[in-house]
Amino acid sequence: MWINMGPQHPMTHGLWNLRVRIDGELILDVDPEMGYLHRGIEKISEDRHYNEVITLMDRCCYVAGMAWEHLYILGAEQALAIRPPERAEYLRVLCDEFQRLGSHLMWYAAFVQDLGLMSPFLYGMRDRDLVLDLFQSYTGARMTYEYMRVGGVRNDLPPGFTERARKVLDWLVDRFREYDALCLGSTIFRKRCDDLGVLRANEAVALGVTGPMLRAAGMKRDLRKDRPYAAYDRLEFDVAVADAADVTARYLVRMEEMRQSVRILHQVLDWLDRNPGPVLADRLPRWLGAPYAPVGDEGYLLKRHYPKGLGFSSVEEPHGEAQAYVVNEGGQHPYRVKFRSPVFANISAAKSYLIGYRVADIPPIMGSVDVCVGEVDR
Amino acid sequence: MTEEGTATEENPVLYVVRPMATAAKQFAKSLVRPSTVIYPFERLEDPAFREEVAVASGKPIGVGAIWDNYRGVHALNIATCISCNLCAFSCPDLCIEMVTVPGGDPKHPKKCPEIDYGKCSYCGFCSDACPEGCLTMTTRYELATAKRSEMVYSPEKLYEVFRTKLPMNPIRLERPENEDQILLDPPLCIGCNACARDCPTACITMLDVAKPEAKAGEKLPKRIWKEPVVNDSDCVRCGTCISVCPKECLFWGKRP
Repeated sequence: MWINMGPQHPMTHGLWNLRVRIDGELILDVDPEMGYLHRGIEKISEDRHYNEVITLMDRCCYVAGMAWEHLYILGAEQALAIRPPERAEYLRVLCDEFQRLGSHLMWYAAFVQDLGLMSPFLYGMRDRDLVLDLFQSYTGARMTYEYMRVGGVRNDLPPGFTERARKVLDWLVDRFREYDALCLGSTIFRKRCDDLGVLRANEAVALGVTGPMLRAAGMKRDLRKDRPYAAYDRLEFDVAVADAADVTARYLVRMEEMRQSVRILHQVLDWLDRNPGPVLADRLPRWLGAPYAPVGDEGYLLKRHYPKGLGFSSVEEPHGEAQAYVVNEGGQHPYRVKFRSPVFANISAAKSYLIGYRVADIPPIMGSVDVCVGEVDR
Repeated sequence: MTEEGTATEENPVLYVVRPMATAAKQFAKSLVRPSTVIYPFERLEDPAFREEVAVASGKPIGVGAIWDNYRGVHALNIATCISCNLCAFSCPDLCIEMVTVPGGDPKHPKKCPEIDYGKCSYCGFCSDACPEGCLTMTTRYELATAKRSEMVYSPEKLYEVFRTKLPMNPIRLERPENEDQILLDPPLCIGCNACARDCPTACITMLDVAKPEAKAGEKLPKRIWKEPVVNDSDCVRCGTCISVCPKECLFWGKRP
């Protein structure tokens, strides 16, 4: 018998549908269906100035907007042959890592709620709010930041930000201990999650599964280390790895990643304190858009030679490896923008980690995948 | 699929009691220092409430003076608006329309932005682009209306927001020194004065140029012997001169 879990189901965390073929409680087959949230972001991008695409990137993934902004910006900068100043690179790492904290805390809240635990859900949401408040203090918005620009970032940090950020980080480190006490310390949690949703490394690689799911299978793959972008090659951190490849392992990997994020953030905050400087590159062409207003085609189309180029970027997003391909055929708008969503691959592999388990195991397993439908459908 | 033995065998009562002890600790803490804001009565943008929050330091809540740069409803100072159109140009959602307001002369009507909040995405590009700092974003965020037409804020309504003196975004973007400038292609110019007439900051002056001697058998072009000169320090880079130029002789570029 086929049953539909979704598109409106507490398990799905967004608009997508998981069709499940069951025999009693046993899962015989699954068929994920995506596309309910398609907004045509790639197509709209072709009609926008380079900086105006950033507004779409925040809506692409609603829990990790900064990571997607960074992804697009890296691609666009490569296509336009623009280099950001060093301080902007560190500020982008700051954004990325705070976003990773925010995204993983959101995942923690959603995941434990899937297991039926209400209090940890509230703790996760409460602590994520601190990260959002920090974002708001220097970008001006809590979720749709519009902070990064081609050639740098919009503005520098406000005075007193670094002290406030360090306070929040100290607070969060204490909370991680509490999370572990609530989840790993509870035998009920361990019995629910151990040996559940096993996806081994060879299968994960074959299916294009990336991010914490791949690292939970023992594969030490992290783009921040393997293909460093921004300032990651100048920072010290470890890649979180676990071996069990089950739901508990994914929990452990994400918790360890948050601790590593805190470690990176301390280094970045120290660096930012020591090195003031410009945050936006010099000599940016006006037609890029904000912070300038892109004015008409007239003055440019006649007299100006536009640069041409291709840009490819890949970023270790909180959910996995996201990739962007920006084609600049000359002109004020990108000719084509293509994004690769990690969650799309992770959900599509559902057959290999759901079949053989029980219906009641679906919420914890899919919760451990960390689904964000905004980026799946774009 | 769950296996026995992976978790340590313990007294079953501990299964429940240990996590509950952690939760109880949190509950006790939350009685002293709740993390929530009781919204209609406490408001984050309210200065009095903010001070209270700052006094209760150690409270795990990130609000405080940081609320000022929130990107909410715009405030427009009509008096300093120069009708340069830059906000409307920079809007990715095309929600800004320039409408006529009283105050201009009949030849050059004064136009100020009218914002449709049904479309606005609060990206702040318009206030970044505003050269005079007259269009800013405030901390106001309550926009619920009963009618869709009330989502469109006329310049007068935006001026009302300005007059409430809400805290405004303190982050001002500095204008880069080597921005693109308005350049002239002299052989194409016919001296028609259109650019100087429409410049919102009146930074273009028409200067006389020497009328060359016509060579034998050649005719001089029929034109007025004047050329625009742009005062870069006053220019706000709105591009009005480029768009009104009938001969397309003005363009963006860097002065050598």
